[in-house]
Amino acid sequence: MRTDTLLEQLCKINAIAGFEASASNEIKEIFGRYCDKVWVDTFYNVIGYKKGSSKNGKKIMITAHYDQIGLIVTGYEKNGFLRVSNLGGVDTKALLAREVTVHGKKDVFGVIGAKPPHLLSGDEMKKNVKLTDLFIDTGLPDEELKETVAVGDPVSINSQFVRMVNGCAAGRNLDNRCGVAACVLALEKLKNIEHENDVYVIATVQEEAGLIGAISSSYNIEPDIAVVIDVCHGDMPEADKASTFTLGKGVPVGVGPAFNKNVTQQLLKLADQEGIPTQLCVEAGDPGTEAWAIQVSGMGIAVVEVCIPLRYMHTGAELVNLEDVDTAAALVSKFAAGRTVRLSKEDADDTDTD
Amino acid sequence: MIELVRELAGTYGPSGREDEIRGVIRKKISGKVDELYTDTLGNLIAVKKGNGKRIMLAAHMDEIGVVATYIEENGFIRFSNIGGVSPVFSLGQRVRFANGVCGCVCYEEKLKEPKDLNFSKMFIDIGTNSRERTMEYVSPGDIAVFEAGTIEQNGRYISKALDDRIGCAVLIELIGQLNEVKNEIAFVFTVQEEVGLRGAGTAAYAIKPDLAVAVDVTNTGDTPGCNPLSIELGKGAAVMIKDGRTISHPLVKNKLIDLAKRFDIQYQLEVIEKGGNDAGSIHTTAGGIPSGGVSIPCRYMHSPCEMVDAGDVKNVVKLLKAFIQSED
Repeated sequence: MRTDTLLEQLCKINAIAGFEASASNEIKEIFGRYCDKVWVDTFYNVIGYKKGSSKNGKKIMITAHYDQIGLIVTGYEKNGFLRVSNLGGVDTKALLAREVTVHGKKDVFGVIGAKPPHLLSGDEMKKNVKLTDLFIDTGLPDEELKETVAVGDPVSINSQFVRMVNGCAAGRNLDNRCGVAACVLALEKLKNIEHENDVYVIATVQEEAGLIGAISSSYNIEPDIAVVIDVCHGDMPEADKASTFTLGKGVPVGVGPAFNKNVTQQLLKLADQEGIPTQLCVEAGDPGTEAWAIQVSGMGIAVVEVCIPLRYMHTGAELVNLEDVDTAAALVSKFAAGRTVRLSKEDADDTDTD
Repeated sequence: MIELVRELAGTYGPSGREDEIRGVIRKKISGKVDELYTDTLGNLIAVKKGNGKRIMLAAHMDEIGVVATYIEENGFIRFSNIGGVSPVFSLGQRVRFANGVCGCVCYEEKLKEPKDLNFSKMFIDIGTNSRERTMEYVSPGDIAVFEAGTIEQNGRYISKALDDRIGCAVLIELIGQLNEVKNEIAFVFTVQEEVGLRGAGTAAYAIKPDLAVAVDVTNTGDTPGCNPLSIELGKGAAVMIKDGRTISHPLVKNKLIDLAKRFDIQYQLEVIEKGGNDAGSIHTTAGGIPSGGVSIPCRYMHSPCEMVDAGDVKNVVKLLKAFIQSED
C-alpha cells in the first residue's frame, strides 16, 4: 500500500480524544486486511492480532494512538458563537483564525475568530491568547445552534493533507496517524512472513487525554514486550537541538528510564544489521508517550519506543517525512518477526542454549 | 433529607481517617442491602444482588482537612493541607480534630499581601501556651476538619463537607428507595478521593463492574465574576461529559442523557477543565471500565460554606434510580 495514500486516508478520519467510537470501524477495516483476527474493545481500542508459529514465541504488543487533539463545546454566546475547552494539549495561538468542524447532531462549519491586529491594544499584542478567550463563530441563529450543538460536543480542526515536493506531507492529525500508518505497513509486511511471536498491533484511544487506551490495552493484553510508535519533535530553525530530530535521517529510538535497556539495545543492533537508520531520542524521565503508562502496567512490561520526527506538533499544520513512516514500519516489523526477543540478560542466556 | 445531610456533613472524616463517617453510613444502610463490607483501604461497599448488569455507584466519604506538622514551643500548631484546601478559605475558620479539640486558623500578622498567604505563614491556635500543653491534645499527624453547621435556606443546603457527603446522602437515599433490582448494584462509599482518587480505583478493581458512575459535586458558573461555566445551581442533575481526568464513556453518558429525557428529569451537561472525580481512577482500572458521572452542582467548593440546591439533589436521585433500574 502506498504510504501517502494510506496516511491521507488516516488523517481524514475524525477521532477526537474520547470520541473515537465512530472512527474505530474504519481502522478495524484497514487492520483486518492483514490480520488473523481484529476486534474493537470497550474503550474503542482497535486490536489486530497476528498469530505466532511457535509456543516459544513472545507476546509482542505494538501501539500507536489514533486519537487526535481537538476542542469541546462548553457553552453558547449570543449570535452563533460557541465557547470551548480543549481535548488534549492544543496550542491556543495556533488555533486562531482556523476553520473547524463542530460535531453536533450534524457537522457544523465554524471559524475561530481572531481580533485583527488593528483592534488589539499594546498589552493584548504582547499576551499569549488563552483558550477561554476563544470563540467559534458558526454563523447559525441561536435557536438553531442550540438545537444542533450540545455542550460536550467535540470539535475538529479542518485542514487538507498536502504532499510536498521533498517527500514530506503536511496537515492535521499526523500526530499520530503516521504511527498508525507505520502499524498498518508493518502488518502488511508481517502478513507473508512466518514469525514465532504472537503480535498484537493496537491503535489506541485517548492518548492525548491521559494515555487511557494504553493503560487498558496493556492490562488486557499482558504482553512480554511493548513497542510504542509515536511522534517526536522534528528539527526546525532555532529549536533546541537536543529535543528535535532531523527528518528523513532515521527513526529516533527512545533511551532512558522508561525504556527497557536490553530490549532497546537489541532493537538498535537489529536496525544496524538490517541497515535501517536510527537516531537516539534521550528521555530523562516521563517521555510523554504511552511508554510511561505501559511500563508500570501489571507486574511491569519491557517497553521500547520508535519515533517519527514531526514538526509543529499539535497544530493543524503538522509535517512529517513519509520515508520516516516507512523506516518505522520496516524496523518494527523486523523486530516483531525476530526469532528470539530476549527480555533480560538471564533470559538471553537461557535462550542461547536452545 | 436535611437531617441526613446534617448528620453526614457534621461527622468527622478527612482523607485517610474515614472510620467515624464510615460507621455512621454503615448504620444507616445496614440491613437494607445484601452484602456490606469494608475493603483493605477502607472503602465501604454495599451490594444489592441482581442477575443483570453489574453497576457501581461511587461517592467519596472523605473530606478535605488540615494536618498538624509541627508544634511551636509556645503551643501554636503549624499545619499542612489534606486535599485541596485554600489558604484564603481557611483563614479565620475553626477546625476540629478527631478528639473534638477545636482550633482557630490564623496567620502571621506581618504578612502584607494576600497573595503571599500560604500555609507556612499560618497556624492553628487551640488556646494553650506551651508545646507540652498542646501535645496533650494534638500531635503532629493529627488531622482536623473545618467546623461549620448545616442549614437549609431558600431551597439550598449550606454546609461544610457537602463535597461529597451530599453524594453519600444520594446513595443512602437510593438504597432506601430500592426494593428488588434486576441489575447488581454496588454502592461504594470511597476513601481518599481528595488526595488523588485513591479508594475508588481499588474498589472498582475488586468489583469489576460493567458500568460505573461517580456521584460527586461539581463547580458552577453562576456567581458574580466567576469563570465561564455552563453549570447553574437549581438547573438539574449535571451529567458529566468531561472533567480534568475523564472523558465519560459514551455508553454511560448517552444512557444517562436518554433516561433524563425519557423520564423528564431536569439535567445539564458538565464540561470541566480541571479537577477529577472518582470516575478518573475507575475507568482505567482492570483493563478499562466504562465510567461517567452524575454531579450535584455546588458553589464555593472546598470552603466551609458549600452550597447545593435541594431540587438538584432530588433530580440526581431520580436520574441514578432510573439508571440502575434500566435493563437495556
